[in-house]
Amino acid sequence: MYKLTEEGRKYLEDGLPEIKLMLFLKKPAPLEQAKKTIKNFGIALMWAKKLGWVKIEKGMLVPLERPKTSKTQEALKNFSEGKANENEINLLLERKLIEKEGAVLKKAKALKGKTISTLTPELIKTGLWREVKLKPYNIEAKGKTIYPGKRHPYARFLWAVRRKLIDMGFKEMTGPLIELEFWNFDALFQAQNHPSRDWTQTYTLKHPKKGTLPDKRLVDRVRKAHENGWTTGSTGWGYKWDAEKAKQLMPRAHTTACSARKLAEGVETPGKYFSLSRCYRPDVIDATHGVEFNQMEGIVIDESLGFKEMLGLLKMFAIEIAGAEKVRFYPDYYPFTEPSVQLSAKHPELGWVEFAGAGIFREELTRPLGVEIPVIAWGFGIDRLAMYKLGIRDIRYLFSQDLEWLRKQPLFMW
Amino acid sequence: MPTIEVSYQDICSLIGQTIPKKEFQEKAVLFAKGEIDEWEGDSLKIDIKDTNRPDLWSAEGIAREIQGRYGNPGLPEYSVKKSDLKVIVDKKMKNIRPCTVCAVVKNLKITEHVLSQIIQLQEKVSISFGRNRKEVAIGIYDLCKIKPPVKFTAFKPDQLKFTPLDFKEELTLKEILEKHPKGKEYGFLLSGLSEYPIFIDSANEVLSMPPIINSEYTGKVTKETRNVFIECSGFNLKFLLPALNTIVCALADRGGEIFSADIIYPDKKLTTPDLKPKTFSVNANTTNKLSGLNLQPEQICTLLEQARYKTKTKGNKIDVIYPAYRQDIMHERDVIEDVIISYGFNNIEPVVPRLPTTGGQEKIEEFSYLTEEIMTGLGFQQTMSYTLTNKESLFRKMNLPEKSIVEIENPISSNWSVFRNSLLPSLLEFLSKNKHREYPQRIFETGDIVITDETKETKTKNIRNLACAVTHPATGYEEISSCLDAFFLALGKTYELKETAHPSFIQGRAAEIIVNRKSVGIIGEIHPKVLNNWELENPVAAWEINLESILSLF
Repeated sequence: MYKLTEEGRKYLEDGLPEIKLMLFLKKPAPLEQAKKTIKNFGIALMWAKKLGWVKIEKGMLVPLERPKTSKTQEALKNFSEGKANENEINLLLERKLIEKEGAVLKKAKALKGKTISTLTPELIKTGLWREVKLKPYNIEAKGKTIYPGKRHPYARFLWAVRRKLIDMGFKEMTGPLIELEFWNFDALFQAQNHPSRDWTQTYTLKHPKKGTLPDKRLVDRVRKAHENGWTTGSTGWGYKWDAEKAKQLMPRAHTTACSARKLAEGVETPGKYFSLSRCYRPDVIDATHGVEFNQMEGIVIDESLGFKEMLGLLKMFAIEIAGAEKVRFYPDYYPFTEPSVQLSAKHPELGWVEFAGAGIFREELTRPLGVEIPVIAWGFGIDRLAMYKLGIRDIRYLFSQDLEWLRKQPLFMW
Repeated sequence: MPTIEVSYQDICSLIGQTIPKKEFQEKAVLFAKGEIDEWEGDSLKIDIKDTNRPDLWSAEGIAREIQGRYGNPGLPEYSVKKSDLKVIVDKKMKNIRPCTVCAVVKNLKITEHVLSQIIQLQEKVSISFGRNRKEVAIGIYDLCKIKPPVKFTAFKPDQLKFTPLDFKEELTLKEILEKHPKGKEYGFLLSGLSEYPIFIDSANEVLSMPPIINSEYTGKVTKETRNVFIECSGFNLKFLLPALNTIVCALADRGGEIFSADIIYPDKKLTTPDLKPKTFSVNANTTNKLSGLNLQPEQICTLLEQARYKTKTKGNKIDVIYPAYRQDIMHERDVIEDVIISYGFNNIEPVVPRLPTTGGQEKIEEFSYLTEEIMTGLGFQQTMSYTLTNKESLFRKMNLPEKSIVEIENPISSNWSVFRNSLLPSLLEFLSKNKHREYPQRIFETGDIVITDETKETKTKNIRNLACAVTHPATGYEEISSCLDAFFLALGKTYELKETAHPSFIQGRAAEIIVNRKSVGIIGEIHPKVLNNWELENPVAAWEINLESILSLF
């Protein structure tokens, strides 16, 4: 079986272009004028010449015959009426005005008047869609679940927190995951032989064991602060400081090490910094202690800062990040800050929760690092907040290895 | 942070007045840097935030601090009467457990409750402040059963026998370490010693083997005990003296009378305890600058008196005298904090600092985020895993020879004992745990790896990497290499692939990823041997690149 091609259908309706050209050429006419007037002029001219109907003379198109129709036109007409003979079919096939009907179209034709579910390209192209009925679906049924690319819920949360801090004017500071005890402890004025060093249980390294200490003058100031308070007005811890101990390497136990590095490297005044990254402590792993955890903390530096500003900073965090309504402050202790404060915030759903801590860095810490003005250090229980915001009860899910959970867990937005 | 169990009634009676519960919780307990953790009937659990103030870790200490703000301000007075009790320290102790400080407390009225408080304080001080008995071990004995002088000496593990607390039969020192629960728990503190420390009296009655256990006979304090002998032993007087002061002051608050003991060292004599108050001074201007409170020197003095200081002003200079049980005051700040605590943190209006700063993050974080966007666009699920792992996963399972990596000495578990030097094992481990989940599975992670690097201050370096893996029955090299191509197309960077042999990948299906003539990563189809090691049943193709190298192209 054959069917009209797109071109064939058009010529059947409008007439062949060469016939149209000849109808236009009542007398010789300029080539340019014919070109402008006749659609598909190239095709028209080619066939008119081939059939010996025209010639070109000095830019003029001269008619040699006056045909009203042609074999092809007749064949097209006969085909459309289903009366075309074999010669006519071949003629039309040659000129690609008809083509063999495809299987799909046959099928589509077979669908005429029927109710179908799939709208095919053939139905669209042939216009046969007009003659079928598209079956209505159970449109209220939900689609099949698919699992496209997706962010990790906790990573998405950390990113949102990071964005928030940047919006609040904090600049990021970093440091290595493997840290010198010097930066993790000594530069933070935690005495080598004092229980305050056990403030947190920490990991030690088997390999490599020791690193190298930074600038000698800096190390010397830290040593003096420990031994006798140096020029800070402190008595110091009163013991002999050991450089070898400070060289020991450890996975960092808190990102406060980053703050110490930042202060020593030089800070902007006023300055606001944050760090948000991995820390390591040998806790027994359970629903509230993971193998690793993220800490979010930072420092704020300015001559104008004091205790009231520290409370203000924490309150701002409680409202902006934790979504708290009310805050309450408790005296607190960190070996490297004095005074120190803990923030509890009243959350609309959780009630009173410990959210953050802060303190003003001790002068025994800041002055040896080269900073003479107040530095507020703050830290935020980010994993706890993440658990709440992501609606999970077991901290180990923050690093979930369950693909099903990751695929189904919604993504966080403030 | 120590959690102290106390009785509400007991605390109120020590304070000398009943403070309503709500007020106690929201105001009073804050003066002792405490927070109520649990409150059941009369029983209270209080978290004491300050790990550097053992004097606060008892009902007596908490009450003392609160009392100052409830009608009884000023320096608490403790007098020490002289006793003739002597403790002789053997010269061989120098290399064993060199120091001890001792005291006697008489005329105690010990109830069941008081006894539990004494034991609690002794425990908290020796564990939290005494670094788990290493720096400070404390013994309390029934004085009536001791015949002075007491000798602090050492015996060989088989040389001496005594009946340890809560046991019925005599054991040798060695047996105590093997059989007694405290021996098993603390025996490591004596490891490497050929002789063990012993307190023994003139009748050869053993008092204790510190820091392990007291004897059943002398070292058992009961409700009937009236007079006690107390010793603290360790290595450094700096820790021992405040520990002893903490204990005797608590007992004195219970009505006990404190007597001294003479400690005769081979080269010196010490008389302990020394409860003579200590001195310091603060400046009113500094106090006001730090607190923002704008107080007159007299007001500061009132607040300090409430915090149990004695004060004297000379213009802006305030001289303070503070109790001997405090060992935490090193700097003016330590005193100023007490002014603010007396004032009440919640009586201060917070001021939000308005500082003109601009925010920003590290370039590598920005870049990581960009690559994560590309990877999710390519249909990959992001994963996050620990940077800690084990050698088994990094090397044997990946069919790789062991190499130098960063290793932890005291891991909690061998599962997390080294830092990963590649992300691919993390991804394969993830896939191995999700074999029963729907396929195809496409995952990626951006994360840090840690490698050794001699040139660095820390002899190590962390590097941000990106790795991805795909697994399903029909996957292979073509699929993952298309992802790599799309990745670089999105970054607008060019790369080349150079065939390589890598034991984790199939021979002839692994390539180094070259950017700017430098190798920045690896791509390939995972070797079936590696798949077997991880018990994976479908083909896996993967790549891993160093994001920092690529970032350096921008």
